[in-house]
Amino acid sequence: MVRIDTELLSKRRVAEGYFELRLRWPSGAGAPAAGQFLTLRARGGGDPLLRRPFAFASHDAAEDEATLVIQERGSATRALATLEPGAKLDLLGPLGRGFAFPERGTEPVLVAGGIGVGPVLFLRASLDAAGVASRFILGARTAALVPESLLPRGAGVEVRTDDGSLGTRGTAADAVAALPRDARVALFACGPKPMMAALDRIAAERGWPYQAAVEEWMACGVGACMGCAVPLKGGGYSRACADGPVLDGRLVKWD
Amino acid sequence: MGLNDATRAPVGAAPEPFAPDLSVRIGPLTLANPVGVASGTFGYGEEYAALLDLDALGAVYTKAVTVEPRAGNPAPRLAETPCGMLNSIGLANPGLVAFIRDKLPALRARRFRTVVNVAGAALDDYVRVVEEIEAAGGVDAYELNVSCPNVKSGGMAFGTDPALVALVTEAVRRATKRALVVKLSPNVTDIRETARAAEASGADAVSAINTLVGMAVDVKTRRPRLAMKTGGLSGPALRPVGVAAVYRISRAVKIPVIGLGGIATADDALEYLLAGADAVQVGTATFADPGAALRVLEGIEAWMRQNRVARVADIKGLLIE
Ligand SMILES: Cc1cc2nc3c(=O)[nH]c(=O)nc-3n(C[C@H](O)[C@H](O)[C@H](O)COP(=O)(O)OP(=O)(O)OC[C@H]3O[C@@H](n4cnc5c(N)ncnc54)[C@H](O)[C@@H]3O)c2cc1C
Ligand SMILES: Cc1cc2nc3c(=O)[nH]c(=O)nc-3n(C[C@H](O)[C@H](O)[C@H](O)COP(=O)(O)O)c2cc1C
Ligand code: FES
Repeated sequence: MVRIDTELLSKRRVAEGYFELRLRWPSGAGAPAAGQFLTLRARGGGDPLLRRPFAFASHDAAEDEATLVIQERGSATRALATLEPGAKLDLLGPLGRGFAFPERGTEPVLVAGGIGVGPVLFLRASLDAAGVASRFILGARTAALVPESLLPRGAGVEVRTDDGSLGTRGTAADAVAALPRDARVALFACGPKPMMAALDRIAAERGWPYQAAVEEWMACGVGACMGCAVPLKGGGYSRACADGPVLDGRLVKWD
Repeated sequence: MGLNDATRAPVGAAPEPFAPDLSVRIGPLTLANPVGVASGTFGYGEEYAALLDLDALGAVYTKAVTVEPRAGNPAPRLAETPCGMLNSIGLANPGLVAFIRDKLPALRARRFRTVVNVAGAALDDYVRVVEEIEAAGGVDAYELNVSCPNVKSGGMAFGTDPALVALVTEAVRRATKRALVVKLSPNVTDIRETARAAEASGADAVSAINTLVGMAVDVKTRRPRLAMKTGGLSGPALRPVGVAAVYRISRAVKIPVIGLGGIATADDALEYLLAGADAVQVGTATFADPGAALRVLEGIEAWMRQNRVARVADIKGLLIE
């Protein structure tokens, strides 16, 4: 974990309100793993006050680069979307615990919902690099919100939209439910809570392992403030930033 | 040294470098410098070890320690507000036994001064936390959190009633000879009353301020943004409230005042020191800039050099009223 001043290399619109930011990530900063995140200070001092967390969407050690996929939501992400290449970035990372590689003999199924796409793309690339085949399912409300240029190439890539404007009509969770019940699936996911909850029900019913990247409001991002509490079914909380963001999805209380 | 020593300074020579004394005394304790990191914003120190030189800090005020482990309040616990934030953490901490077992050894191995923030639901809880930490070898100082707005019983219930502040302070005073700081709540009509109660009951210092009660509503969903509905406001938005509190307290008591609330830069800290503080704490600013406290310290030192102020305690005399 380091705090570095680095620079934006390029910015590209990848879907409606979605941007891919490519930034310098020096090797001295440590190699991020899929599921890990960084925090970023949108402006020095004043509003927005707190650093904002974003998941790594890729890392290229040879080029000293990393990417983020961000969605414009509020003040910080709007400010990010207006940055031009060369802009200075105040980053802190890599933070948190990423995805663990699937057990041998399991069939990894990667599920991304909406802006949860970044860490899932990164996981897909890491599995590809390790020669592990995986299935990739992306769910979005509508075609305009699908970052098509970022979708992995190769077999086993499926898109679902709520309105059927791209791919099959339906949700990512529907696609997972349609998988053979007796398959030895290992689920990996990041997305909105209803999707994460639906995957939890499927995982519980079929006994599938389920690694879930969670999202929660953060202040410190390093495990110090207890602000990012994620409720657990058995009572108590995990810290999204330090115990997660990748947690055992079957232990999380999703609703 | 040597500033007024005309006999030793050769005529025409460059002035000797001026080295201000940054140390601060809080009762029996000497802090190497006036800048600490505030309770609840810095964990138990080690969380930030990779990001700054912890031992350069004057003090680390730990997250509150309670007798029993506390899971904390429902989520969401955080919301950002204009130039500030609300939190409703709810004193989440591993409890006294785990603190002594898992956190204390690392804290004691450090050079910075450790001030354990103590909280409880009842008077006996405060005493027990301090007694057991003392029995385990102790720490440099204790800060009584009688002012947390996030717990239903205790916390602010103690902190808003001068008679109860006096009771807690007296009881803990009997349990330790170490420096005892009472952290005051701004959620009162006149903060000088609780400050005087702490002083009269044996506190070595007061720290001010804890967070102000606040609330934010998400207009789109029509729900309060915190699960607990209300929380504590911290950050720059709080600073003028804190400066005024320190100004008034410092004119009402003789014990040192540790100022906090919205400090992010050396100028912010100097506001507090000029207004009457003897030391400061940096809280929320660390979230935005993990090195904020050390930059505050550097800036205070630079200001003291520039203005040829010899001791931190001299700064409060420089306010022009
Ligand atoms: C570990 C982690 C990884 C993340 N990765 C990504 C990523 O790869 N790409 C991406 O675009 N975003 C990601 N996010 C979410 C991102 O941090 C928020 O969108 C961002 O902080 C919004 O800041 P803002 O100032 O633009 O919006 P604000 O003005 O702060 O908020 C605008 C609205 O967005 C919603 N919102 C903002 N932050 C959160 C949050 N943390 N949880 C739930 N709702 C929120 C709220 O409804 C809020 O009203 C991640 C969050 C976490 C915790
Ligand atoms: C997330 C968070 C947790 C806190 N936890 C505690 C606590 O456990 N005990 C305490 O006395 N104060 C606690 N505080 C209050 C701070 O120590 C400090 O008094 C307050 O935040 C004002 O300072 P600041 O504006 O510099 O943050 C907490 C504050 C925040 C933001
Ligand atoms: S954001 Fe502070 S503990 Fe997770």
